[in-house]
Amino acid sequence: MRLTPAQKRLLKEGTGAQRKSLQLLVALGEIAGAERLVRVTSAHVSGASYKLIGDAGLEFLEDFARDARVAVPTTVNPLGTDLRQWRELGVPEDFAAKQARIARAYETMGARPTYSCTPYLLGVRPRLGEHVAWSESNAVAFANSVLGARTNREGGPSALAAAIVGATPDFGLHRDEGRRPTVVFDVRAKVEGIGFSLLGLLAGKETGDGVPYFRGFAATEEDLKWLGAAVASSGSVGMFHLERVTPEWRRARTKGLRVVRVTQADLEEVRHHYTNGTEADLIGLGSPQLSTEELREIAALVDRTPPRIPVWVFASRAVRDACPDAVALLERHGGRVLADTCLEVTLLEHRFTTVATPSGKGAYYLPSLCRQKVILDDIERLLERYA
Amino acid sequence: MKLPARTVSPGRAEGIALVSPSPFSFVGGADPASGTVLDEATGFRGERLAGRILAFPHGKGSTVGSYVLYGLARRGLGPAALVNERAEGIVATGAILGGVPMVDGVDLGGFSSGDRVIVDADRKTVDLPEVEAKPVVSAFLRNRSRFLVVRRSDRVGSFQGRWSAISGYVEGDEDPRARAAQEIREETRIRGARFRGSGEPLLTRHGNIAFVVHPFLFDVPTRRVTLDWENVESRWITPEELNGLPTVPRLDAVMQRILPRQ
Repeated sequence: MRLTPAQKRLLKEGTGAQRKSLQLLVALGEIAGAERLVRVTSAHVSGASYKLIGDAGLEFLEDFARDARVAVPTTVNPLGTDLRQWRELGVPEDFAAKQARIARAYETMGARPTYSCTPYLLGVRPRLGEHVAWSESNAVAFANSVLGARTNREGGPSALAAAIVGATPDFGLHRDEGRRPTVVFDVRAKVEGIGFSLLGLLAGKETGDGVPYFRGFAATEEDLKWLGAAVASSGSVGMFHLERVTPEWRRARTKGLRVVRVTQADLEEVRHHYTNGTEADLIGLGSPQLSTEELREIAALVDRTPPRIPVWVFASRAVRDACPDAVALLERHGGRVLADTCLEVTLLEHRFTTVATPSGKGAYYLPSLCRQKVILDDIERLLERYA
Repeated sequence: MKLPARTVSPGRAEGIALVSPSPFSFVGGADPASGTVLDEATGFRGERLAGRILAFPHGKGSTVGSYVLYGLARRGLGPAALVNERAEGIVATGAILGGVPMVDGVDLGGFSSGDRVIVDADRKTVDLPEVEAKPVVSAFLRNRSRFLVVRRSDRVGSFQGRWSAISGYVEGDEDPRARAAQEIREETRIRGARFRGSGEPLLTRHGNIAFVVHPFLFDVPTRRVTLDWENVESRWITPEELNGLPTVPRLDAVMQRILPRQ
C-alpha cells in the first residue's frame, strides 16, 4: 500500500494510538488488496455495548483512550443500557458501572456521545460520493444506498482507527466497481410497513456478500432504513439500489445478473420463518432506533390500542428529548422510551423470554444476542393482539 | 526450513507451535481469563496459548475476538506469534492492537504442533530450524480424462502402500519439470508425455521432513504402464475417485492445483 509523506511521518512520529491505528488500517488494506488510504469526513464506531464487547472490549477502550483522539467527527453506536434509566430496568449495578466506563472512554477520545445506530437521523449526512468510515451495518447500508456516501462495513476497531487517522483503506464500496449490483430482486408484491423488513431479510440471505438491486416498488427514506437494516443483517450487504429511488440506480448495470422474483407469499413465509415464539412478554420497537416521526406515531397507536404487555421503544437521546409528549403518553400506558441503547444490544434476557417486534433486524439478532424468542409482525397487528 | 511470509503485524518471536487444521475464533476458542484453548477442533484443547506460536488457516466468528486476543496479549497470556494461511480482519485487528507478531501467506501443511518456530514478521519469514525442506515432484499423467495413480511399494522411503502420482526427489538445483519428465519415463516407461501445466508448490510433512511438492500435469498417448520397483499397482481414475483411495498426504490438493479451473 502506498502511503503519503504525512502518513509515513505519522507511522514513525505519531502518538502510540496514531501509530497503532495506522498500522491496523494498512494491514487491513493489504489483506483486502487496497493500494492507498482514502480521507474520510466522519466515523461511526460500533462496539460500545458492554453486553457484546465485555471486559476484553472495556479493557482495550480504556487503554486506547489514554492517548487516542479522534481526527474527524465521530459518533458511537448504542450502549448496553440507558445510562439514566438502568436502575428502573433492573440492570445489575456492575453492568451499568462498566457500561458507563465504556462511554467515558469514547468521550475521552473525543467522540460525540450519541450512542445511536442512526447517525443519519442526527444530522450526520455525508453527501453523494463523500467517503466515510462507518461500522454498524444498518448505518452503512443507509449511508451507501440512500445518501450515496461511500463506506465499507467497518469493524468497531477499524472504524475507530479510521476516526483517529482520518482515513480508511480504499477498497470495496469506496470504489465504483464495488458498488455494482450483483443480483436483481424483481418484487411482485405490495411492499409496505413491515414488508420492507421482510423483503430485506429475504434479499440479504439470497445476496450473501454482494449488492442487491431492487425493482418493483416505491419507498420513502424511512422505508429504506428498515429495508437496509434487514438486508444488512441476514446478508453481508453494505449497499443496495432501488430502481427510480436511490441516487446511484441509473449507473447500476443489471444486464446478465441473476434475477430473483419475490411474491407476497415469499414475504409471508419470511415472517413465519422468523417467528419462533408463541406468547410475547414485551413489545420491542427499535433496531434501528426510531425517528421523532416514528416515535410520535407509535405513541399515538399505543394510546389508541393500549397493550397489556410493556412496550419498550428505543430512540436516540436527541429524539427522546424532542418528543416529551410521546414519551409521557407511552409511559402512561406502562411503556418506556429508552435512549443510549437499542433493542438487540440491550439487556433483555434478565427479564423477558419472548419479544414481539416489527423489526427485521431485531428478529434476526434477538435469538442469538438476547436469547429471546421472536414474534415478527406489523405494529398495528401486535397492538391488537396484545390489547 | 525457512518460508517467505507476508507481514500482518510487526515483530519477531520464537516458540513451540500449536497448529490447528481448522479455522479459529478467539471468542469461544480460548478462555479470555487464562488463555487456555477451548476449541476441540484445534486438536489441542486444554493447551495454554502463552508463549506459543499459534497457527491456523484463518480466523472466523465474532468481531469481539479482536478484543479477546488484545486482552490475552496485554496480560501475557496470548500467543507469542500468529501464523495464518490467509489472514482476515478480526484476528489481524487483535494482533495489531495487542502487539502480537503475525504473518500470513504460509502453507501450514509443512507445520506440526510441537515444532520450534521463529516468526520474523519484520523480515517476512517463518523459520522451522529443525525441519528439513525436500523438494519433490508429483506428476499426474492424463489420458482421455483419466489420471494415473500408482501404489507405492514397500521398498520406497516413505508412505509405503499409499496411492500417489508419479513422484521423485529433485536433486540439487535441477529443474523440477525435467525431473518430472524423467520420473515418468523411469516409473511408467511411457514415452511421449507432453507437459500441460504446473501448480504452485505445496507442503506436506513427514517426520522432520517437509516435502515441497511441485505439482505437474502431463498428457500421455497411452494407458499402457510398465512399473518399476517403486510401485506395485496402477489405476486410471477420475478426479472424484481420488477421494476414495488411501493416498499420500494432500494428493487431492496437488490434483486441485493442476486441474483446469472451471
